[in-house]
Amino acid sequence: MMGHRLRRWITEVGVLGILLVALVTVLFPYFWILLVSLKPVDLVSRPDVWLFSPSALNWEEVLLRSDVPRYLANSVLVGLATVALALVTGAPAAYAFSRFNTGGGPARFAILAAEMMPPAVLIVPLFLLMYRLALLDTPLAVIAAHSTFIIPVVTWFLIGFFDEVPRELEEQAMVDGYTRFQAFYKVVLPTVRPGLAAAAIFGFVLSWNDMFYALILSGGKNKTLPVAIAGYWTFRGIEMGKMSVAILIAIVPVLVASFFVQRRLVKGLGGGAVKF
Amino acid sequence: MVTRHSRFPLAHRMLVPLGVVLLAVLIYPLLFSAWISLHDYELTALQDVRFVGLRHYIALQGDGSFWNAMGNTLVFVFGAVALETLLGFGLALLLHRPNRYRDFFRAILLTPMFITPIAVGLMFRFLLNQQLGVIPYLLGKLGIQIDFFGPGLALYSIILIDVWQWTPFMLLLLLAGLESLPAAPFEAARVDGASAWFTLRKVTLPLLKPVLLVALIIRGLDAFKIFEYIYAITRGGPGESTETILYHIYKVGFRFFRLGEAAAKAYVLIAITLLLVALLYRAMRTAEERR
Repeated sequence: MMGHRLRRWITEVGVLGILLVALVTVLFPYFWILLVSLKPVDLVSRPDVWLFSPSALNWEEVLLRSDVPRYLANSVLVGLATVALALVTGAPAAYAFSRFNTGGGPARFAILAAEMMPPAVLIVPLFLLMYRLALLDTPLAVIAAHSTFIIPVVTWFLIGFFDEVPRELEEQAMVDGYTRFQAFYKVVLPTVRPGLAAAAIFGFVLSWNDMFYALILSGGKNKTLPVAIAGYWTFRGIEMGKMSVAILIAIVPVLVASFFVQRRLVKGLGGGAVKF
Repeated sequence: MVTRHSRFPLAHRMLVPLGVVLLAVLIYPLLFSAWISLHDYELTALQDVRFVGLRHYIALQGDGSFWNAMGNTLVFVFGAVALETLLGFGLALLLHRPNRYRDFFRAILLTPMFITPIAVGLMFRFLLNQQLGVIPYLLGKLGIQIDFFGPGLALYSIILIDVWQWTPFMLLLLLAGLESLPAAPFEAARVDGASAWFTLRKVTLPLLKPVLLVALIIRGLDAFKIFEYIYAITRGGPGESTETILYHIYKVGFRFFRLGEAAAKAYVLIAITLLLVALLYRAMRTAEERR
């Protein structure tokens, strides 16, 4: 009996040990970037210095005396506009796919295929189109590019969430005198609100994180935040502290958002095709 | 109202907004791209565009840089996805056990997949830098000297960075898959006195196969799009040893301004990825039937 309990105890400690190693591996880079962002300029390139009196200089430089806040605003604008467009176009379509099975399996597959389309294929024509329309280096160009994958992702998510709503719900609403569209709009949509929120947050994160399209379509005055971060590429010693600040500004909001969507993400990614 | 039959049923009308927008931003550019790939489209000479037929496609045969980039990408995709699947599955098994701290570990371990890859690239470029980096410094204390981005090693370092960022994705899907498995087969295996290893191989893995397939396809296709780490860290170097396919197409199209050639290469990329997805799908199906 003792042997059994000892073995179980060893297993528990082993499991916890492995999980702690994984935890440190994930957290250490965040910790180090935070540390560097608080270092005085002369200590930034000193990996052997872990203790110092913190300085807010890097943060002041980036937040008050650089264009980073403007690039941040661009990112927010592009993300919100893309997500709004995705919800307006995606929600009714997802409802049609879910309820009327419009287009059947091939239609669902087309949505998934659009989501997976390599950016390499779309960047050349999008660049030329935006050039012709004189929209290069504007948020509109990036919004159009982000729509190519965020609309399909959001639609795909919503199909899964609509599939879960019992049909009796809108049937009852229609008995009560609603049209089918009213039933969708006033009864079904409110019940999938958590799903809509998760899809919107996930879509926003995808837009917020993209650098490839934004770099090529809007790499000048109207950069988004990831493109601005890429600009710290030169790696001059003094820049590292500011780079750390910019990185933290880009990742902290997303990390906070991630805690809200983690649970629903799986169902969304499955898109009603895979039942987890 | 329910029985009203208009010429366009509601189901179709609800698809119109999606259809219009995707036609404008996705379908039209796709077709335009095919047209571009058949022309001598150069950013420096947009007034002088000539039809060249399949020349860009035929020229790929002798294009060493393209195939080098394709090879690098395949090494990267297979290496990264294999490691991520193994680690993700292992961690999913550990987190699937009843554990007081489970939700805490889960929430933290999933965070890397939500971060913008350019930040991850720059973060690790800094962390792994020979002079400025804290990891070479710590390894140096243990007497280990590694130049993470030197010749021969850079591509593998980039694989490890991808593993840091994307193992969480495999963990997320596989853990959800484990949680959804029926309890009965495991109960039966326990009653029969099956070992943990046997249960894992003969019960867990076969049941998990559909989820595994979805996870592998999503992650694999996503891994083909690797660009930011290369842009942030090596810009394809040393030499062309870390040039991946998306970086190569970016270089040809937007550094050398040869848009026609870039468009053709992108189409070949689609063909190759579709082929790989089909192969993976068939391999999983065959394995299923043999069972």
